[in-house]
Amino acid sequence: MDIGQPKRIIEIEPVTLPVPGEVVPDADPAPHPDREPTPARPEQRVP
Amino acid sequence: MKPHGTTLDGLPTDVASEPIIAWRVWALTGRRDGSDLLLRPVARRARTWQPRQVVEASCRSSRWHEAPEPLCTCGLHGTHGIEVLRKTKGPAVLGRVALWGRVIEHQHGFRAQFAYPQRLRLICQFCFWTTGARREAPRHVGWFPRGEMMPICDEHLAVARRHDVFPRSLVTTDEVAQRLRDIYAVDALAI
Repeated sequence: MDIGQPKRIIEIEPVTLPVPGEVVPDADPAPHPDREPTPARPEQRVP
Repeated sequence: MKPHGTTLDGLPTDVASEPIIAWRVWALTGRRDGSDLLLRPVARRARTWQPRQVVEASCRSSRWHEAPEPLCTCGLHGTHGIEVLRKTKGPAVLGRVALWGRVIEHQHGFRAQFAYPQRLRLICQFCFWTTGARREAPRHVGWFPRGEMMPICDEHLAVARRHDVFPRSLVTTDEVAQRLRDIYAVDALAI
């Protein structure tokens, strides 16, 4: 398949990735500075 | 899109935040019953497109540059229009593909660093070669040894039968198309 001569380069960093389930790194909002960290859940033990 | 400068190759560079949506065709493989579908480049040796995973380009000619490289042919290809795709060998699926990362725009298409399909449609490759994509979707998908799946219309199925290249089994296009869209989580391509 011949797509001809190159014309330009485009650097594209999408805000959201067009892939189901994929997340752009660092796209999650940062935790609120005043919010206390959530305590870790204790391990569930099977009797 | 913001103009950004020029490269050592003299190509102007731009910066953008939205993927480019281009045309592309794929080959298709799967099991005899139409399960385990997988999009593959029509260039058989190239890597498969795994469902729900970003496809990243690499160069088979050189390990010394990242793909796409302006002076090479590497990268994930997409085209501006459908016509240029009609010359490809063995297309089974026509679709729209999102391209991003480093993208080199050519006269008739693109070569990209990352890609993922957006809309897909099964096509009879013989109709596509002779008349383009605006024919009705083929009714059957033929299964051949090595897992090759070939959507085929009634007319060309009869021709294949006359030339003793009849597929080992047939599945309905509706069933395969729905499974393909579910696996890749994409929409149908309407033309």
